[in-house]
Amino acid sequence: MEELDLLKKAWKKDNQSFNQVSEVEIYKMLHTKSSSIVKWILIISLFELGFGFIFNILISFTKYDSRNIELLKKWNIYDGYVVFGVLIYLVVFCFIYKFYQMYKNISVVDNTKQLLNSILKTRKIVRNYVIFNLISFALFFVTIFSIAFYHGYIDLLATRGITHPVIPVKNAIIFFIILVILTSIFTFLFWLFYRLLYGILLRKLNANYKELKKIDL
Amino acid sequence: MLVILLGKDRQIRNLNLNNKKCSFTFCNKTITFTTNETMSEDLEKSFVKQLKENQNIIHKICRLYTNGEDAHNDLFQEITIQLWKAFPKFRGDSKFSTWAYRVALNTAITLYRKSTRSVSTISYEGQYHFISPEEYNHEEEEQIKLMYQAVQQLNDIEKALVFLYLEDKDYTEISETLGISEVNARVKMNRIKGKLKKILNP
Repeated sequence: MEELDLLKKAWKKDNQSFNQVSEVEIYKMLHTKSSSIVKWILIISLFELGFGFIFNILISFTKYDSRNIELLKKWNIYDGYVVFGVLIYLVVFCFIYKFYQMYKNISVVDNTKQLLNSILKTRKIVRNYVIFNLISFALFFVTIFSIAFYHGYIDLLATRGITHPVIPVKNAIIFFIILVILTSIFTFLFWLFYRLLYGILLRKLNANYKELKKIDL
Repeated sequence: MLVILLGKDRQIRNLNLNNKKCSFTFCNKTITFTTNETMSEDLEKSFVKQLKENQNIIHKICRLYTNGEDAHNDLFQEITIQLWKAFPKFRGDSKFSTWAYRVALNTAITLYRKSTRSVSTISYEGQYHFISPEEYNHEEEEQIKLMYQAVQQLNDIEKALVFLYLEDKDYTEISETLGISEVNARVKMNRIKGKLKKILNP
C-alpha cells in the first residue's frame, strides 16, 4: 500500500516534532503515583472483598448474642447455623487467596493478550465472590425468615389456646412466595447495579480482548 | 547523579542532601526522593538515561492513542511509571527499545484508564505536522496527513499492529508482542490495509 509506506518513511524520520522530556522531568514522573486501571481494579476489589468479609463478621457476631443463640437452639437450627458460618469463612478465604494469586500474575511485560486475560480473570474472581455473597445472603435471609415465620405463627396459635397448632398451607405458601420475590428483587437490583458499574469500568478491556481473540479465530 | 542534574538544568533550586534523602525545588515544586542504596541509584540513573534516549517511541504511541496535549502527557507519564516498575525485570538481553514497545503498548491498550478509541479527526487539525516541508512535495504531504488521520480512526489493537509495522518490526515480533499467531498477524495486517484504503477512498 503506497500511502502507508509513504507514512512509514515520514514516520521513521519523525524525531523532531515532539517536545523532549528532560531527565529532571522523568525523575519527577518516577515518583508520581500510577493511575492505571489495574490499580483501580485492585482498590475496588479490596473494597468488595473487605465489605463481604466485614459483612460476614457482623452476621457471625449475632452468634454470640445469647438471646439469639437461645432462639436458634429452640428452633433446632443452631448446629446448622454454626456450620454455615464456618463454611462461609472457608470460601471467603479461598476467594481472597485466589485473588491474591491472580493479582500477582498480572505483569505488564507479558504479551497483550496474556495481560488482558490475567486482568479479566482476576476481575472474574471478585465477580464470583460477589455472586457467592449475594446467593448466600439470599439463602440465609429466606431460610431464617421462613423458620422465624413458622415458629412465630405456631407460637401465636398456641397463645390462643389451640392445642395442636397447624399453619394453613395457603398462608405458608403465600408468605414463602412473597419472601422469595422480595429477596430476588433486592438481590437482582444489587446485581444490576454491579454489572453496570463494571460494564463501564471494563468496557475497554473487554473490547480489546475480544478483538485480539477474533484475530486468532 | 545530582551533579549531572544540576549541571544540565538551572531551574533546580534548594538542593538538599541529607544522608539518605534528597530534595530539590523544580518548577516551584519540591521533589524528594530517597537514595538508600547506590544500587538503586544506579538503576534509576540508567533507566532515566535510556528512557530519555528512547522517548520518541513513547511519544509516537502517545500521539497515536490520545487526543490532545493533556492526554498525551498523561499517557506518557503512565507509561514511564509502568516502565520503571517493570525495569528491575529488564535483563538487558533485548534492546531497551524492544522491551519498551511491549510495556508502552500494553499500557496504552490495557492499563490506561481513559478510553483511547476512535479519535475524532476534527481536533486533529493543526495539532501535528511531523514532516519537514522541504523533504516532501505538497501532494505527498497531504497523502501522509490523510493516511495518519485514517490510522487514528482504527481501534486500539489495529493501531498497535500498524504502529509496529511503521516501526519496521517483523511479524514474529508483532505476534509475540500482541500474543497472536504469526500467520494471523499477517492476515490481520492485510485486512487493516484494506480498511485504511476504504477510509481513504470511501
